[in-house]
Amino acid sequence: MRMKIFRWKAIGPLLLLLVLLGILMWLFAEPVARQTTEEASTELLGTQVDVGRLDLLPRQASVDLGALQVADPFEPRRNLLEADRIVLKLNPEALTEKKLVVERFSLQGMRFGTTRTTPARPVKGNGFAPQALRAVRRWSQQFDVPILQLTPIDTIKSLVLNPAQLGSVRAAQGLLARADSTRQTLEAGFKAVDVKGTVDSARALADRLAATDPKRLGLDGTRQAIQSVQQTLQRLDQAKQQLSGLERNVKEGVRLLGSGVQTLDEARKRDYAFARSLLKLPSFSAPDIGNAFFGKVSIDRFQQALYWAELARHYMPPGLLPREDPGPKRLRASGTTVRFPKERTWPSFLMQVGQVDFSIADGLLKGAYAASVQGLTSEPALYGKPTVVSAKRDAPGSTIAGLDIGAIVDHRTSNVRDSFAAKLRGVKLPSFDIPGLPFRLSPGTGSAALTFLLRGDQLGGRWAIGSKQVGWGLDSTGARSDLEQVVWRVVSGLKQLDVTAQLGGTVKAPKLSVRSNLDDAIAQRLKAVVGEEVAKAEAMARAKVDSLVSDKVEPVKQRIAAIQADATKRVGDQQQQLGQVQAALEAQLKRLTAGLAPGITLPKIKL
Amino acid sequence: MFTLLKLIQSIIKTLHSEGTPGQVAAGIALGSALGLTPLVNVHNLVIFSLIVLLNVSFGGGMLGWALFVPLGFILDPVFDRVGAGLLTATSLRPLWTSLYNTPLVPYTNFNNTVVLGSLTSWLVLAVPIFFAARYGVARYRATIGERVRQSRLYKAVTASQAYNWYRLFRPN
Repeated sequence: MRMKIFRWKAIGPLLLLLVLLGILMWLFAEPVARQTTEEASTELLGTQVDVGRLDLLPRQASVDLGALQVADPFEPRRNLLEADRIVLKLNPEALTEKKLVVERFSLQGMRFGTTRTTPARPVKGNGFAPQALRAVRRWSQQFDVPILQLTPIDTIKSLVLNPAQLGSVRAAQGLLARADSTRQTLEAGFKAVDVKGTVDSARALADRLAATDPKRLGLDGTRQAIQSVQQTLQRLDQAKQQLSGLERNVKEGVRLLGSGVQTLDEARKRDYAFARSLLKLPSFSAPDIGNAFFGKVSIDRFQQALYWAELARHYMPPGLLPREDPGPKRLRASGTTVRFPKERTWPSFLMQVGQVDFSIADGLLKGAYAASVQGLTSEPALYGKPTVVSAKRDAPGSTIAGLDIGAIVDHRTSNVRDSFAAKLRGVKLPSFDIPGLPFRLSPGTGSAALTFLLRGDQLGGRWAIGSKQVGWGLDSTGARSDLEQVVWRVVSGLKQLDVTAQLGGTVKAPKLSVRSNLDDAIAQRLKAVVGEEVAKAEAMARAKVDSLVSDKVEPVKQRIAAIQADATKRVGDQQQQLGQVQAALEAQLKRLTAGLAPGITLPKIKL
Repeated sequence: MFTLLKLIQSIIKTLHSEGTPGQVAAGIALGSALGLTPLVNVHNLVIFSLIVLLNVSFGGGMLGWALFVPLGFILDPVFDRVGAGLLTATSLRPLWTSLYNTPLVPYTNFNNTVVLGSLTSWLVLAVPIFFAARYGVARYRATIGERVRQSRLYKAVTASQAYNWYRLFRPN
């Protein structure tokens, strides 16, 4: 009997199963899509994203989202953004390729900085965003933000210092080892050149010839003598060249040791600062005061900008090489999902045009605003244009209040560039505590501006706030020191505030400088009140450091000076000896060749 | 528990009367794809449809699935490496790029290392699995099969109502 290949009677149950699957998908597509959107967005942004409602509109190829909340990754009790409704019009053709191309995007009821009813959950795991958040937090901790010390000054207080804590002691030990190593290297160099041996044999030849009459040598004897002189001159020349090389080594070694000595001096300055910090002395330096007052709040602003720039760099890489991302979460291993971008095709994600119209109902910023996002994509090289974000008042009117935001994310080529600028006028600026002091600053209504630029590894940024309605709060608990009262009298009388923070350098080695109109006023006042006492305490700290450091550092400096002097002198002496013996030999050569018959030519020797 | 009982029932039935050893082995070879590769993927819908539509042992398919699920979990790291090797191979990049940009194909998740690695491994192993299973079923029936058929457990299982529904997919 011939066996059948198909089981035709199973078609019915199979179709029934497929229909059941279809119904299940239809029933659960929206909840599943909502949950997936929340999970994916939370993982992508590194902060909790909540979607209250998600409706799929297949006929319009649209998605309608409601009650969106994006928590602030740096402040879990606050929402970065809240929107009542978002409608995404998708490109159906791109959807067939599993690509999300948002043709139009509209957002309604947008609010910023709203308070959350429940704090956002921290995003855990080893996804890129949590890692970036941790990295940016570490980045912000590398700034050396001083705290304005306003404790009473005690000049009698003994300063306990352990030599092991002092950098100059460690540096001296390191430099001593380097000095010994340099000395041994130079010694080996002198031995290798062996100037003494060469000079002695050349001098012996010169003396021997001086005692000889060329006429008694005969023709062969004279020729041999001339050849001996010429060979010796050649050796002398080689020795000179070797000595020149050694001289360069000596100069380099001397230079390195000299820079090591400079390092010692710098280390000692740092030790002075360290000893001073143990005494908790107030600083009179205006930049230090600016940093102490506004350094932390400035860094907070820049770290947020850096975080979003880092995310953009990761999710919007330049070029068209395959991209690897972690696979979907499932019981089985997630694996890695590889994307294969191709020219003249859709990127995996693209928001072509996003229009955001929002209004602020009351306050100085009252009015209608228009924002747009263009070309936000996962493959900038495919899209071919930079991402541009802008937001401004739709109907300009009030000059005292307004909002102007612009951002360009250009990742089309490997020369990536991210820039962001925001200017706000007439906004209520957030209050903040002054680190280490019982003061709270309420800038009131004023202006704020933030610019941020990341080009390759180069950082640039400026954050400024200005207000004429500054309010100061004093923590009433605990006793106030005299110095705190002095500073309080200075700041509480000020109603105007201008702060400017500048960020520069590279991501790995950033530099921050902060200036404000408070700096000079506080510095002058502090100097007038406690300048003399501080000077005394500083002198005491310096003396203490010197007493611990001098007996370890000075011998090293002397040793280095001796090595430098000895090496330089030896090179000079040996050059002189070589010169003298060379002159003596040349004189003998001249004497020998004077007796030769005309027509006899000497062999040419390259010197 | 009910599902487990059904599975045991299906396995016992499969090993005895339904179909030739070749049909059972073909079912096991197809069912192993469900176990070896991540389940919720388009290719498994195709595999399942084949188990249902082709005249192979449905029980064999379920048996293959059950047997190869633990193996799939264990071999995931291997599949990941196999898939990564294939997806990152420079010579294959034009193929993947073309498939990735072809409508509907990306929904197969072929560009996931575990999916591609496990599917490729299954394709390679399917024939050996078929022959090994055919030999195993034939040996089983020739040796202890009859004794099991006479056992109370077997009779209890075959008496179940669910067995009647299962008979619908019994190979001819």
